[in-house]
Amino acid sequence: MPDRRVILRMHAVTKVYGAGDAAVTALDNVDFQAQAGEVVVIMGPSGAGKTTVLTIAGALLRPTAGRIEVAGVDTTGLAEKELPAVRRGSVGFIFQSFNLLESLTALENVRLVISGDTATARSATNRARELLSMLGLAHRLKSLPKQLSGGEKQRVAIARALANNPDLILADEPTANLDSKRGREVMHLLRQIAIELDKAVVIVSHDHRIREVAHRVVWLEDGRFRSDVVTARDTVCGQVVEVEAAPMTSFNGQAFYFCAEQCLKLFEANPHRYAGTPG
Amino acid sequence: MRVLLIARKNLFSERTRLAISVGGIALSVFLITFLLSLFRGWNEKVGGFVENVDADIWIAREGTTDFLAAGSFLPVEGVDERLSRIDEVERWSPLIVRPMTASKDGTKMDVQLVGYDPVSAIGGPVRIEEGKGVPGPGEVIVDEGLSRRYGVDIGDSIGAGGRDWRVVGKSSGGDFVASQTIFITFDQAEEALQMEGLATFLLLQVTRPSRAGLVAGMIGNADPAIVTMTGDEFAASTRDRALGDVIPILTVILILAFIVGLAVAGLTIYTATVEKAREYGILKAVGFTNGYLYRVVFEQSLVTGLLGFLLGAGLTVVLGPFTQQLVPQFVILVRWQDVLGMAGFTLLMTLLAAYVPTRRLAAIDPVAVFKG
Ligand SMILES: Nc1ncnc2c1ncn2[C@@H]1O[C@H](COP(=O)(O)OP(=O)(O)OP(=O)(O)O)[C@@H](O)[C@H]1O
Ligand SMILES: [Mg+2]
Repeated sequence: MPDRRVILRMHAVTKVYGAGDAAVTALDNVDFQAQAGEVVVIMGPSGAGKTTVLTIAGALLRPTAGRIEVAGVDTTGLAEKELPAVRRGSVGFIFQSFNLLESLTALENVRLVISGDTATARSATNRARELLSMLGLAHRLKSLPKQLSGGEKQRVAIARALANNPDLILADEPTANLDSKRGREVMHLLRQIAIELDKAVVIVSHDHRIREVAHRVVWLEDGRFRSDVVTARDTVCGQVVEVEAAPMTSFNGQAFYFCAEQCLKLFEANPHRYAGTPG
Repeated sequence: MRVLLIARKNLFSERTRLAISVGGIALSVFLITFLLSLFRGWNEKVGGFVENVDADIWIAREGTTDFLAAGSFLPVEGVDERLSRIDEVERWSPLIVRPMTASKDGTKMDVQLVGYDPVSAIGGPVRIEEGKGVPGPGEVIVDEGLSRRYGVDIGDSIGAGGRDWRVVGKSSGGDFVASQTIFITFDQAEEALQMEGLATFLLLQVTRPSRAGLVAGMIGNADPAIVTMTGDEFAASTRDRALGDVIPILTVILILAFIVGLAVAGLTIYTATVEKAREYGILKAVGFTNGYLYRVVFEQSLVTGLLGFLLGAGLTVVLGPFTQQLVPQFVILVRWQDVLGMAGFTLLMTLLAAYVPTRRLAAIDPVAVFKG
């Protein structure tokens, strides 16, 4: 993708939470880019700073140092009260826990962010209906979130993220609360969105299946992106783990790596099941 | 103005809470308008009689302040001669007033016994509703307030001032709420109350009522043993006597009612906001401004206030006449100015109630919604 538009550009970004003894460096001088039409997956252990990258990229959080550009706008140079407009117009967020408004129907949840709630604008309603139909929810427009399945909720959330036609989609663990079938559906949807709607899609995930849809996978650890990391899949829980730091065992002459001791124990109790060999 | 979708949904998806906050405001509005209307009604009644007496100037013994506690004695002899020297005085008439307890079949009734001159009719019944217009010897005309409260009717006999009087007529306009006027002639009062040659008040009519104040001052200055007041002044000080002590108590109750309404509305709106904190966080995350969130909460508060006001004011208007029939002491006068003022107070209540959660809203961290 040589002459692709760069939608998200993070340059030398550092984020320190707190101060003094309690200071935590969540991001340490990182550079990151995402282009229109691509799906970038950020992986890494818990506490690595993945959510921090997304919230800074999405103009929800200010970095301690560094520069961020979203769709050509330098958000680090903007005043606090200019940021909501960037979030609303240029960024679409997708969350692990869907985060729909419980008292609003699927249609209203999407329409709300288009019209800014100020009008019953027919065009906003039409667009919301179109998006939901595109995501296969034409029959669910009037349903409240509590009447929807997890997969349906996440699709409503995706429709909401697309509502204002932003260039950048940021998703934090979008499949973590879904079973594997719905999770896969959502991932393919995100890939389709990147390619067909020409969006930059950045996904944070632990889920190995997400690699199927990624154009690029980057590894974040201790607040830094690392290119030298060798990863493997924990065959027990499915997480992607860094080989170097993970508990491991051998079975049938093959090495297996795990996210934690618990998964290792489960594996050792029933290696045939997890090694994929006939037991 | 269209109410924001979120404000509407937040309000009406929680019916119970809405009912509580609307009920709280309604109760507060009802209490305030009801008490205020009660006060207005009393005020009107208490001053009404004195205002309606066809006298421009009231003269009483020094130290007398009002109609209700009328412990004044003035000699009538020589008044004619002295007043005739003042050109501006057109006419005068003596009036005997004595607060006392009358009785009917053993029931005690607080009354203002009034002895008036039937020729001038000054200080007599304001309006005759039924029966004779002028009492004869041994006869009395009672205010209809008395018949409403104690069932006194034409043909009944009531005891007052050591004698029995036959009720021959009913009048209106002489109800002081706590007591009612009964009327006999001046001569009869003189005799029954042993006030030969004395009057409680001297009532004057002047040629130019607009100059009543000046004339009253002139007469009063000439004689240190008397006090003079214009009709309006006397009505005002009678009102003050009857209700002056009520005003501070009433004020405290009104303030408490306001606080109760504010507390209920404030608490429900605050808890509603806290409960929805995550949703407000989501709205912030997807790009809504703090200003928008304030507006959502403010509109919820405003709609709650409007509903509470309509309910509370409606209750007053509907229940007012009804309670008046049940309890004769309830004299309710709903003035549109009071209702308008109450609308203003409700608005203030809702503004204050909405203000409380705004700091909470500003503090919500949208990043928190990334946590599962
Ligand atoms: N508001 C905060 N105040 C202080 N420290 C924070 C705050 N938010 C995050 N951190 C710390 O910053 C580091 C990075 O956090 P972040 O949430 O970005 O990790 P993550 O990669 O998303 O983890 P996970 O996979 O568990 O979601 C962690 O050490 C975390 O404890
Ligand atoms: Mg995270």
